[in-house]
Parts: sequence; structure tokens; C-alpha cells
Amino acid sequence: MSRITLAHGNGGRFMRELVRDVFARRFGGSVIDDAVGLPPADGIVVVTADGFIVDPLEFPGGDIGSLAVHGTVNDLAVSGAVPRWMTLSFIIEEGFKIDRLDRIAASIARAAADCGVTIVAGDTKVVPNGQGGGLYIAASGIGMRPVDVALGMKAITVGDCLLVNGPVGDHGTAVLLARQAFGLRGDLRSDSASVLPFARAAVAIPGLRFMRDPTRGGIATVANEISQETGFRVLLDERTLPIREPVRGICDMLGYDPLYLACEGRVVAVVDPARAADLLVVWRGLPNGEGAAIIGRVEAGRPRVVLRTVLGGERLLDELEDDPLPRIC
Amino acid sequence: MPDAAAWLERIRALTLPHPVRVLNVCGGHERTIGMAGLRGVLPDNVVLIPGPGCPVCICPEEDILSAIQLALVPGVIFVAFGDMLRVPANVAKSEIRSLVEARAQGADVRPIASPADAVAIARANPNRQVAFFVAGFETTAAPVAAMLHEGLPDNLSLLLSARRTWPAVALLLNSEAAGFEGLIAPGHVATIMGPEEWRFVVDRHGIPTAIAGFTAGSILAALYSVLRQIAEKRPFLDNCYSAFVRPAGNRRAQDCLADQFDDIDAAWRGIGTIPASGFALKPHWAGHDARLLFPNHLEGVRRRVGDMPPGCDCARVVMGRISPVECRLYGKACTPRTPVGPCMVSDEGACRIWWANGQRPDTADAARQ
Repeated sequence: MSRITLAHGNGGRFMRELVRDVFARRFGGSVIDDAVGLPPADGIVVVTADGFIVDPLEFPGGDIGSLAVHGTVNDLAVSGAVPRWMTLSFIIEEGFKIDRLDRIAASIARAAADCGVTIVAGDTKVVPNGQGGGLYIAASGIGMRPVDVALGMKAITVGDCLLVNGPVGDHGTAVLLARQAFGLRGDLRSDSASVLPFARAAVAIPGLRFMRDPTRGGIATVANEISQETGFRVLLDERTLPIREPVRGICDMLGYDPLYLACEGRVVAVVDPARAADLLVVWRGLPNGEGAAIIGRVEAGRPRVVLRTVLGGERLLDELEDDPLPRIC
Repeated sequence: MPDAAAWLERIRALTLPHPVRVLNVCGGHERTIGMAGLRGVLPDNVVLIPGPGCPVCICPEEDILSAIQLALVPGVIFVAFGDMLRVPANVAKSEIRSLVEARAQGADVRPIASPADAVAIARANPNRQVAFFVAGFETTAAPVAAMLHEGLPDNLSLLLSARRTWPAVALLLNSEAAGFEGLIAPGHVATIMGPEEWRFVVDRHGIPTAIAGFTAGSILAALYSVLRQIAEKRPFLDNCYSAFVRPAGNRRAQDCLADQFDDIDAAWRGIGTIPASGFALKPHWAGHDARLLFPNHLEGVRRRVGDMPPGCDCARVVMGRISPVECRLYGKACTPRTPVGPCMVSDEGACRIWWANGQRPDTADAARQ
């Protein structure tokens, strides 16, 4: 049988075989058990939960599986934790090709191995044809954080610098192109990746205040969260904000603002201005870090996010109103 | 070619005899102005006014309502440019007010980005009627004319609501007070129709005019040209988008327009009828005219209260008579989430653009527009 049927979710033989032949083969045997024990470890246990829906399920630079691993790992990494374990629940639409499911499971296994995390538990449900988007993945992640690492927006103060580890808007634009919507095509790749190396390097820098991954809502949304939480103004500098030319071009054409598009392999760090240059050098020295930049600073003033344009003008970057690209992450 | 910063320096170095208001007539120009924060960096005596450049904003209310009713006809696939989907018609809130709401009620409404999409959808659904809502300026009318020239699938019809740009500017200039001393003319329209269409602004009204492209640099170059013409009292028609705008424009596109469409007096939402400002299908296209094919789609009793909802000043915003923030609904009853008038809906609408770039009614220190 080459496609998922409702029987693959009924708890019986088909499901057992699917778990054995796809998930346990790709992730290891422990996913067959309903519950799993984890070894004792030092530090603070950090837990995260995330759901993944994306259209299309496979796109240049990744797929829903690698996205689920990177998204979960990144949420742990930006909190200062080292990701260790993950659980995955698959909600599969009847009729989904098992080959494709296996391809996505292999992608998950590869991404997990790269990030040093183990898939320790899972679940499978099947929904009737027409009642799901092919495949949804619900994930949880568990990591360990050293007790002396304490990041948070409370530590942010006037003068602090904002950095990003590479060009913004790639994922949102790549997924849009992959849908071949509006007759557009291009060879842009999603930036979907683990930010763990960047996060670990940043944690080692004294003066690091806070990190966040700019996924849904993009860099402008992270800046707005910082501004609202701290009560300070955040000024972003268009001259240093890294945006690839194709991203800029496609956004111009369709009326999107790349500052609001999702990234899946980027991290924003807020750091003591005296250490910003140090962090920039470290980040630029990492693989895929050559596009890192200091992109703005925290200022006294009303809690708003303002973009200083190339010409020296100012543009307010407000909270997102409509969803510019539904279902991209 | 100087870059945007160099054009800005030149503008700052000019000595103007009096404060100057410069009108643009393209939503794309207004977007660039907002995105680059140009209003905040220009000298105080130079005011940029967004004019009648948003096709969504000027689409007559009755056409929006027709579109909604037509979309609700069982079996019809209704296609329209994405911007048109959220424009509210002026009916009670309990009724279906927009194409988005029609879709929520089960109508098959599909956003498209080009006329080719409409043809593709019609071909893919040969057993269904597909109606295409053609709202836009010459830049939309020309590719639709080309589509007609190629021939239409039998099941594709058009709800045509396309307009010419220059007649609205002529209307302003022929009114008692034009309200502007310089004009930045639309680059894409001029690419098709030729720069000469805008000569009347200079020749008949003595108003300095420059055609601009869509980068901040191109707009600043055109603005510099207009301001310098004013400073030197030497108005002429300048072309600052000469890489694309050629003398006489695109003849083939113009021939196509003339072959497929008749010029008609046409209504502009909130503004009224402007002579020879609209396109109508030639009689031989009657079999594809959605207005003729679905004559009874405007059913039911409707209490009309006017083109615009009460209190909505979109018409004056469109004509550059007031700025978006001067409308008393702006940012209060009317926001992108709950748009009252069309200017708050489209990405080319002045209100939507000003809002997106941070202009708020209650904050003097917001990023300046």
C-alpha cells in the first residue's frame, strides 16, 4: 500500500507497521513506546511546543520536517539552552503518499542529527481526505540551560545594539515562489537552519541580553515585541539591514515588506553596545554567518519601532495588521 | 546618474520662490514615497500630495456592488485583482459588503495577479462561467486589451471598470483651485500611452511636470526637475523615466486599446462622472460582457445612501484636496482592519499607505509623512 489510509491511524496493524517502517526506522526504537524516560542532566530543563503547517510541504532549502526540527531547536537555542530531545506528532491526511512521508521523516532524522537532538517519542493520527493540508506536525522540544545563563527582555537597556545573523525574508519569499503563485519563479532558497551555533557563540559573549528567532512576522515583529515589552523605542537602520536583492525585487513587485516576512534560520540578538562589534566578528566567522550585521539600537522615547531609511527619513514599523502570506510557517 | 541622496542634496540646495505642492497620480509613487520616508527629509516648503492614483479607490461603488452580486450567482467563478476583494460596498453591515464576505458565504471568488490567470482559470473550468472584474488604469486596460486581441475562452466574461489617468488630473486643473503647483506623472502609464498625454498640464496650465519611475531616486529626480522648473519659472514636460518611457509610448498597446475598447464618460467613486475617462467593450464583445450576460444579478431592494459611507472623505483624499490624516474617520473608525472607505483598503490607497508607514491621528511625533 503506497498511500496513507484511515487504517494507518486506527492503532492496529497498519499503524504499527507504519511506525515501525517509517518512524522507528528513521528516528530510533524508542518512538514506539508511549512514554520515555530521559537521563538526569545538569542545569535547568527548558521545554518548548510548536506546530508546523506549510504550503508547499517541500520547498527549496527545506521541507516541513526540517522546518519542524529547526523551528523547535531554534526556540530552545535562543533561550540559551542546548537542545537535546524532541517529540513529534504527525497529523496526516488520508491519501498522503507513504514515500513522501518517508522522505520527510528522513529529512527530520538528518536535521535532528545535525542539531544533536534525539526524537524520543511520537504519535500518528490520520484525518479523512479533504480535512487536512496533507501533513501537519506538532513538536515539543526539551533542552538544558546552564543555571548561570539568564537571558530576557528585562535586561535590555537604552543604547543596546540589535544584531541579526544574516539576510532577512528569505524563507517567506522562497515559500511564496515555491507555490508558483502569481506566475513567479525563482531560485531563492529558504534560510531554514539551526541557529544553535550562533546562539551558543552569543551566549559566550558577556553583555548578551536577549535573543529571539524572527519567524512569523519577521524582524519587524521581533523589534515590536522588544519595544512593547521594554517600553523603549527601537531604531532599525535600513543601510545595514541585510536583504537579498531577489527578495527585495519580489517584495517590490507584490507589495510585501521583507521586514515582515518569516525567517527560519535567523536570530536577533540584543547586546551591550560595547560588545556588539565582538559578537559581529564571531558571527561573521561562523558558517553562513557572513551576512551578519548590526541592524539597530534601543533608544529612549515612546515604545515604537522606527526604520531610518537610506535617505535619512523615518518610517514607523507597526505591528502587523493583515497576514501578508498565510500559512508560511 | 546621481543617486537618491544626490538628488535630495540638489533639492535642498534649490531656492524656491514660495511653498510648493507637488501632486503624484500613482499609488506606486505614493508607496515609494512612504517606504523611503521622503516627506521627512524634504525641505518644509515642499509638500507631496497623493492624488488620484489608486484604481481601487476610484472604482465606482455600484461596480463593487455589481461584482459582489455577480460573484454570488450560483456556478460562477469570479476572479479579481486581490486588492478588490476587501473593498466595502456601501450597504448595511448585515448585508454582504465585499467580495471577501461573498466568498465566506460560499461564492467562488479567486484573487488573480494578471489577465493570463483569468484565461487559465476559464480554460481549466470549461463547464463554468468565469467573470473577470477588470478595475484599473491604462496599465490594466492594455494587457486586458491584448488578452481580447488573442481571443477569449467562450466561458470568460468581463465586468469592465477601467479608467484613464489624465482626465482626473484635467478635472482638477479645470476646477477653481487645482491645489498643486507641480506634477509628478505616472511612469508606467506613460510607458504605454506616451509622455505626450501629459503635455496639456504644461501647455494649457503652465504647471511643471516630470514623469517618474518607481525608485526613490527616480521620484526625487522628477521632484528636482519640477522644483527647478518652478524656481526658474520655465515649465516643461520632463521625462525622468526615459529608460522605459519612449516618445509616443507603446503604439501596439495603444492600437490594441483602440481596437477593443470605446472611450466613454465614466463614474469615479465619490467624484462623479469624468468625460472620456473610461473604457467600454466594443459592441462585438457583447457576448463576453458580464453586464449583459448577467443582467439580473442586481437583485433585491437596496437603500443607497451615496457613493461613500457617511463621514468618509475618500473622495477628497483621492483628489488631493485633503491629506489622509485630515479625514475625521482616519485611524479611528477607519483602519486597515476595519476599512470604511476604499483608500484604507488598497496597497495603493493613500490612507492605507500612510497608515502602514506609521502616520497616526493622535501622535505628533510619529514618523513624519
